Order: sequence, then C-alpha cells, then structure tokens
Amino acid sequence: MIKSPNVVRQLKHVSRITSQISSKRLLSTSPILRHQDKKTSTSQDEMDHFNQLASTWWDVNGPQRILHKMNLLRMDFIQSTLRENIPLNEGVLNKEEEIYVPGYSLDLLPEQIRNAIVHEQESKRDQVISQMPKYKILDIGCGGGILTESLARLPTVESVKGIDLSTDVLEAAKLHKALDPALTDKISYQLMPIEDISKSEKYDIITMFEMLEHVNFPSEVLGSALSHLKPNGWLFISTINRDFISWFTTIFMGEYVLNIVPKGTHHLEKYINESEVQDWFKEKPQFEVVKSEGCMYLPFKGWVYSGNASVGNYFMAIRRVK
Amino acid sequence: MSLILKRTLATAAETLTKTPIEPKLVDVLIVGGGPAGLTLTAGLKNSKIAKELKISVIEGFNLSSVKTFHDETPSNFSNRVSSLTPQSIKYLQKIGAWNHIKEERVQPYDGIVVTEGISDATLNFDSPELATMCENVNLQSSLYQRIKELQGQETNEEFGLEIKDNTKVIEITKDPFNQWPIVHLDNGETYKTRLLVGADGFNSPVRKFSGIQSHGWFYKRFGVVSTLTLEYSPFRSIGWQRFLPTGPIALLPMPGNQATLVWSQTIELSELLSKTEPELFVQLVNGAFILSDADMQYYYGQIRKGKTEGLIEDIKWRISKVQKHLTEDQIEDQYPVLATSVEPRSIARFPLRLSHAETYVADRIALVGDAAHTTHPLAGQGLNMGQGDVQSLVKAIEKGMQRGLDIGNTLVLEPYWAERFPVNHLLLGVVDKLHKLYSFSNAPVVALRSFGVNALNSLSFVKDFMVSKVSGNK
Ligand SMILES: Cc1cc2nc3c(=O)[nH]c(=O)nc-3n(C[C@H](O)[C@H](O)[C@H](O)COP(=O)(O)OP(=O)(O)OC[C@H]3O[C@@H](n4cnc5c(N)ncnc54)[C@H](O)[C@@H]3O)c2cc1C
Ligand SMILES: C[S@@+](CC[C@H](N)C(=O)[O-])C[C@H]1O[C@@H](n2cnc3c(N)ncnc32)[C@H](O)[C@@H]1O
Repeated sequence: MIKSPNVVRQLKHVSRITSQISSKRLLSTSPILRHQDKKTSTSQDEMDHFNQLASTWWDVNGPQRILHKMNLLRMDFIQSTLRENIPLNEGVLNKEEEIYVPGYSLDLLPEQIRNAIVHEQESKRDQVISQMPKYKILDIGCGGGILTESLARLPTVESVKGIDLSTDVLEAAKLHKALDPALTDKISYQLMPIEDISKSEKYDIITMFEMLEHVNFPSEVLGSALSHLKPNGWLFISTINRDFISWFTTIFMGEYVLNIVPKGTHHLEKYINESEVQDWFKEKPQFEVVKSEGCMYLPFKGWVYSGNASVGNYFMAIRRVK
Repeated sequence: MSLILKRTLATAAETLTKTPIEPKLVDVLIVGGGPAGLTLTAGLKNSKIAKELKISVIEGFNLSSVKTFHDETPSNFSNRVSSLTPQSIKYLQKIGAWNHIKEERVQPYDGIVVTEGISDATLNFDSPELATMCENVNLQSSLYQRIKELQGQETNEEFGLEIKDNTKVIEITKDPFNQWPIVHLDNGETYKTRLLVGADGFNSPVRKFSGIQSHGWFYKRFGVVSTLTLEYSPFRSIGWQRFLPTGPIALLPMPGNQATLVWSQTIELSELLSKTEPELFVQLVNGAFILSDADMQYYYGQIRKGKTEGLIEDIKWRISKVQKHLTEDQIEDQYPVLATSVEPRSIARFPLRLSHAETYVADRIALVGDAAHTTHPLAGQGLNMGQGDVQSLVKAIEKGMQRGLDIGNTLVLEPYWAERFPVNHLLLGVVDKLHKLYSFSNAPVVALRSFGVNALNSLSFVKDFMVSKVSGNK
C-alpha cells in the first residue's frame, strides 16, 4: 500500500515545508503574469491536472470520492447557515404575531418549552422560506459540478451558473447534467474566468469550494467574486490552512499514503490560513464573516466538523451587510 | 449481398415494431404493494421534505380487498396476521396511518408462555405491552386510507402518486443513455425511474435485476396458518408457543374468542394438515399444545393411513386425561383455551426460509422488507423488520434531498443499509439459533435446553433483554 519512494521524497520535503508554512499568502499580489493573461487565473500545471481527472469525476467510488463525501457536509453547512439567518419577524407589525426568540441559549429552558419554541421557529422558517424569492447562484470553479448539481436540486434555488477554466472537467459537468432531466433548466455551465462575468450580473449566493488553494492570486479572485454579490447575499468558500497538519493529512496521507486524493491535487505553498481570510475581511466593512467551521475527513465516517477552523480544512460563510 | 440486404431489412422492421412509447418518468418506482411497499409510500408522502417526489407503486395482485376493507369490513379474520411491535406502531402513528386502523380488529397482548414440547419447561415473557396482533390487510388498509387522506389534503393540482394493482413487472432493463432503470409491465407500459425500490417480497425481481446476492436456506418447514374460534374469550391476553421437535406451534390472541395459528411443520405434515377435515384439524392443534410428541406422532401415522375415524374423540379423551389432575387455575396457567372450530378457508401454508441479501442498495436500487431478508416466524419479526427498513430509508431519502443529492445515488442510500443490515443480521441470527436449538429431540440437548429455559425464567434481566428484542425496543 505505502509507496515508499514517494514517502521518502515527501519526508525530505518536510524541511522545505516549514518555510512554506511561514510565508504570507493571501495578500501576496506580486503579479508575475507569465503564462497567465488574467489575474484571477490558475497555472497551466494545475489546469492539466484537473483535465486529467475529468473522466472519473462522477464516479463516487473513484478518485473524487473524498470530494463527493465532502459535498454532504458542505451542503449541510450551506443549508443550516441560510436557515439560521432567515429573519423570523421581518415585516411583522403586530407584536402578538412575533415569534419568540429568547436572548439566551435555548438549552437553559425545560425540554418541553424548548421543543415548543423550536417547533414554532422551524414552522415559521418553513413558511418564510416558501414565500421567499428563489436564489440565483454562481458556482466558481465548479469542476465537474458536484456542488452545482446539489445546489440546483434544492427547491429554494432558481438557477445556478457554474464557471471553470478546465475544458475537460467542464465538459464532464455538462455531460453529467444532461443525464438528469430535473437539472435541464436550472444549470448553465460556462468556460470563463471570474473577471469576464459581466459587471451587471449579481447573485444571491456565490460559492467557491476547494478552489482558492489552486489559484495564483486568491485576493484578486475573492475581490472579483464579491463584486457580484447582491446586498444581503452570501459567499460560501472552503479551502485549507497552510500548516503541518494540512500538509500531513491532505498531501502526505491523502495523496501519497492512502491514495484517496489524486496525486498533484495540492500544493502546500498555495494553502491559505483561515486567519488570513478573516484579516482580509476585517478591512472590508461591507462584509461580515458569519460562520467559519473547521472540518476533517475520518475514514469510515466521512467528513465531520473538527471544532477548529485554524487547522486543516475549513468552510466559511461571508455575508454582504452593506 | 442479398443476405446482407435481408439482414438490414430485418433490423429495420424490428426496430419499427419494437419502438416503445416513451417510458413514463417517475422519481420512485416501488415494486410491491405489501406491508413494506405501502408503508414506504405513506412514509414518503407524509414527509414534508419528500412529498414532492413522483411515486408509482406496482402490485401484481388485486388490491381490492385492501381498498374496500375500510368501508366493507369482512366479518371473518384473515389468516395473514402479524404481531406488530410498539416501535412499528409508533412509526405508523407518526405517519398518520394508525388512525385508520380498525381498532376493534387488533389485539394487544402482554405476554407469551413458551413451553417446550418434550420436557415441559416453561418460560414466561411479560411486558406491559409486548406487541399487537393485526391482520396484514388491516395494516395495508390503514396505509391506503392515509395515502388517500394525504391526497385529499394536497393543494397542488398534482399529488404525484399512482398505485397500480393487477399489474406485474415482467422485465427490468437499463436506459442506455443515463443508466436509469426501465421497468416493463405486463400491460405493455414502461416506466423510467430515478430510484427503483424492491418491496417485492422473497422472490424479489428487483433484487434479481440488480444482481445483489442473497444467502440463506429453506428450513424444510412450512408455516401452517389459520383462524380459530376458542371455547370462550380468554381472561388474559397472551400468546402461547410450544416448541415441538418439528418446530414451534404458536397461538396468538385476536379479539374476543378468536385466535390465530402459526404452526411450523415438516413439508409432508404441513401438507397432510392442510388437507385434514376442519374438526380433526382443530383437535390436532389442541393436542399439539397439551399432548406428548409420541401421541402426536401416533395421530399423524393414523392420518397418513387414512384411519381418521374416532381420532377426534381419542384426542379429546387424552387431553381430558392430562387435565384431570389439574385445577382450573392450573389449566389456565399452563395451556391455551381449547379451540372449538376453524375457519375452513383460512387454513393455508407458507414455506419458511432464512435469507439475507448481501447489500440492500446499489446504484438507483434499494431493497426493503422480505426482498432483503426473510426469517422464521417464531419470533414474529418479519414484517417488523420491514417497517424498520422503511423508517430508515425514508430518513436517508429526506437527508439526501435536503442536501440536494440525486436520491438514486449510492451516497444517499448507503446510510440506510449501514443502519439496517447489522440490526437485521443480529435478529436473523438469534431467530435461526432458537429454531435450531429447539429442533433437536435428543436427550442431552433437551435437558440442556429445559435447563436453559428454567434458568432463564429466574434470570429476569436476560428475559428483559429478550422481551425488548421481541418487542423491538432498544
Ligand atoms: C406463516 C407466516 C407467519 C408470519 N407471521 C409474522 C408475524 O407474526 N410478525 C411479523 O412481523 N411477520 C410475520 N411474517 C412475515 C411477514 O408476513 C412478512 O415479513 C411480510 O409480509 C413482508 O412484507 P413485504 O411487504 O416485504 O413483502 P410481501 O408481503 O411479500 O409483499 C410483496 C409484494 O410484491 C408483489 N410482487 C412480487 N413480485 C411482483 C412483480 N413481479 N410485479 C408486481 N408485484 C410483485 C407481491 O404480489 C406482494 O404483494 C409471517 C410470515 C409467514 C409466512
Ligand atoms: C478541487 S476542484 C473543486 C470543484 C468544485 N468546486 C467542488 O468542490 O466540487 C477545483 C476546481 O477549480 C477549478 N479552478 C481552478 N482555478 C480556477 C480559476 N481561476 N477559475 C475558475 N476555476 C478554477 C479547477 O479547474 C477545478 O475544476
């Protein structure tokens, strides 16, 4: 099982890794635009890598199984974030009709009262959701469309546009979409960098999962994405912290020892720390980081929240507040 | 040259005649309108999340007895009766079906007296509410009524459900384009489905199509069933089970002075019994609970030879001899109330098997109920296991839909299998071991086993554990 030469080579890299871990990433904007003509683009090496994966992208038991599994938890993350943040009493003029939202943790209440309050809140949420306009979503770096399709099937979603720079992977996405008649009118795929999206196109939700760690200039990519967010709109991202644990789990174990992630998927020096993203947003008062959750893959169990967003993989929910 | 030409013509003609009408597109196609299939249908349509699914149920037999049961309730009890665990009933209540059950036709019972045919050791299972006897048709009817009720409440113009009976699935193929199952019916119609559920019983055509292997064996026993009338209504609502060398005989209470029988017998004797005249049949049942195995073997011998004259009186006489020395209270504690007659058309027999499918799910396939597993009826678990399957599958589908997944995806279906397989496997194993333990008649095993039964009787915690398994509580 263990490919010893690779392991040894990887171990030799450990010293180099330490230096990669320390340098800052998100703000580095030294634009050496050699092969790239776009600032929100990705190197040719990376694109070649994804192109090779296209044909097996949708095999849930194939090379992308980990991504398929991650999709379960991130859909829970997106759904619960949206649900928790639905205004329950917006537009209610009469105090009597307001849903009671206590200013303290529900756990302090006796079980029956707690259940009654939760039940009341949940039915109100269902009602509000059923009357809300449906979401228009942009999925950046959609790949073969694992997340794109899941989003599109939600009854609360009107449409999803998926963009990517890998021709083959996007082709796989289109082919797979055609297999399910329920998706025909809900998804459109386009091969384009973010900066080519017309300025006037605005979205309720923008998603960028497992992508920032591949791009050359993440801050450019983030900024460009945010410019398409409607007021009160959401940006959901996931990426990986640049630390020893991440190197150990995603590259060393994932790609080389367990062979559960295709080799060459990750480059440690491109990982982005959660704190770096947090700091970046602090300077942008029109946005708020509403939620940030660490997550990890456990064999036999799948993806679970780790309780620590500054180690390994993490999901983040950012909202435009102004 | 001409050969090639002919060949091309033939293919052209073939494709012309074979071109089918576009298959009807559904989200879930359920094969089988038995207890498992109808519970799944009601469970999905009752779910806030899953009710939008377009569902078709295909049943080979006529469901008219199920459809008319509610308004034109028959006077006799059906011979297909199952004991429902509190857990199954709780789920039926949750999905709103239990409201539609004909309560006057179900019988809760709070204990089973288990005796052993050779040594007469006794084991009493007691629990406030062990289980409830309910005709399968009563259960199916309650589900059917619930489905109709949900349909009535639906405000959308389309409810997205169709129940087709008298229609058999004759072939299942795959769509060459997207690999979805295509189900061909004997009326010429075809359906294309996102998820194909096999609730189609032991011979499950869906399981065969999916290539899922099933392992197990025939017990070389048949279950002889019937509805009996007792001398009077018993004072206590309990079940009786006696382990005989050929397998267990069980008498379970129905309302009033009615009772239902499941008698596990050898192939030959089951055939003999189901052909015996009703009066003699009744006495053989009484005898099996009271007399020795040697006596019973003698009667079987006489019946084989066609010498049935005087047998009825003989059995009655021997029974009275056994009971002569006992007080009325003792008789009541040790034996069921004697049966006086049997509903003649209710005598039937079913093969008893153990089987377990290797997996319950494959791409766009899920198996529930007897399609996935069958068990010996001695613990009354078969139907209840299917109810547990359905609960778990509905949960998995809901979760999958909340995550926007394609419900035919194995990532959606695997949690169902992972949750149910170990539970069912344990139950099948326990029931199988009980059956084996009690089918030996050599002395050491009998001694050991009656010791076991007596010891069990005094070890209440072991019994509690077994009661909780039988009644489905965790
Ligand atoms: C003697 C006996 C006593 C029992 N007692 C108990 C008990 O006390 N408690 C208990 O829990 N269980 C008991 N069981 C088990 C119980 O009856 C079964 O587990 C239960 O009926 C299984 O339900 P199901 O819906 O999975 O399958 P089934 O009831 O077998 O239903 C399958 C349905 O699929 C249909 N079908 C099959 N093939 C096709 C096709 N090609 N096209 C269309 N339709 C098709 C059939 O017509 C049938 O209606 C007993 C079983 C026996 C034999
Ligand atoms: C690991 S995959 C993730 C796919 C998808 N978001 C998911 O999580 O299921 C990363 C994808 O990002 C795409 N990608 C990388 N850089 C990109 C860029 N600058 N613009 C758009 N897509 C990019 C790659 O082609 C690849 O398909």
